[in-house]
Amino acid sequence: MPGIDECLVEAMRLPGALGAAVVDWTSGLALGTVGEAPGGDHETTAAEAAELARIAAEHRAFAPEGGAGWDGEDPPVEDLIVSNRDTYHVLRFVRTTFDSSVFLHLWLSRADGNLALARIRLGEMAGRLVLG
Amino acid sequence: MTLVRSPRTLPPRLPVRHRPVGGPALSPMLQRLAAERATGVLLRERGTLYLCDGQVVHAESPETPGLDVLLTTGGGLDAEGWREAVAQAGERRRVGRYLVDSGRVAEGALELCHTGALFDAAFFVLGPSSAPARFRYGDAHWLGAVRPVPVAALERETVRRRALLHRIWPDPATDSAPLIRADRRAEPPVPARQEAVLGQVDGVRTAADISRALGRPAFHTLVDLRRLAAAGIVTTAPPAPRRHHPDRMPPAHPSPHPDPVSALLAPSPADPDVALLRRLRDALEAL
Repeated sequence: MPGIDECLVEAMRLPGALGAAVVDWTSGLALGTVGEAPGGDHETTAAEAAELARIAAEHRAFAPEGGAGWDGEDPPVEDLIVSNRDTYHVLRFVRTTFDSSVFLHLWLSRADGNLALARIRLGEMAGRLVLG
Repeated sequence: MTLVRSPRTLPPRLPVRHRPVGGPALSPMLQRLAAERATGVLLRERGTLYLCDGQVVHAESPETPGLDVLLTTGGGLDAEGWREAVAQAGERRRVGRYLVDSGRVAEGALELCHTGALFDAAFFVLGPSSAPARFRYGDAHWLGAVRPVPVAALERETVRRRALLHRIWPDPATDSAPLIRADRRAEPPVPARQEAVLGQVDGVRTAADISRALGRPAFHTLVDLRRLAAAGIVTTAPPAPRRHHPDRMPPAHPSPHPDPVSALLAPSPADPDVALLRRLRDALEAL
């Protein structure tokens, strides 16, 4: 069963992966980090990514039809994708059996990365991280 | 031109004077212990930190729910499973390992929950204190190490969390006092996780009580309460009414909440302007 570090190492094996982190979006805490961070500082990146994740998770506009809030432990949003000229960011919300507000953050090179593949793999990793 | 206000729009944040929240080290003693790679337990006024080789491996505070509450409230682990793990592995100080090896809790889930709880309790343990700290060498916690955290990282995060709370709403009153809904009629819809906190506000419960009831880290509750306070939805319960003495001379010092203002604001609490004035007053007092 993988822990946080094994999960992050697995994320870094994805083609084009530059860095990855497990972040709590209520506090902005980086629970684990690996590789590079945009701007060089994982803690700052975590706090900024947490703001983005919080907005997506809290606003009704982004929730699924007919389910405005948290359905049990299910976050209303699965993932967030941000692209810029040279990189992608994929933020994947993690469902846990205890009360939490955690997401996986993968930073991906646009030249070498495969966004569709990364998105699928990150979802699988989020599941294995908490279910074993 | 018609101004349309979305019901979800929160009032704009009031400008806040930035005060340095870093300052000197949170605990010089803790930094010394880290430097000498000490193992043992640091007892402070608001809780304890367990160190192993100079790194923090566990933290507890009466103001935060313990790992047992966090893991069992959501139903992922039942209370019996927790008790058995403590009984089986407590003496060997390997309860965390036992929970994972017996298949009760996934490794990643334990790490996420425990690390979150560690930073959560440490935020309170490293809070302002008026009593001297003590350190007992050699003591280890029965949970066993899960994911040790360097002291420097813990202190940095604690300082950052203070700044985060201050930025959301500078008045710390909702962190510890019994809470009430400020005005039900003026409530805008709030996000689901804040709604859960709001549902626990009953005039008696404090942030710590709400965190325990929800099985949620206490700092998360503080963040939501500050947001609810900033939106004018939650405020602190008034203190128990004082007895009225008409013969007595008025107090020499003016009270921090001048009565004429309260009287002026009292007649129509539903008026949004009044809510704004109240928040302005609170914010000015908190500066």
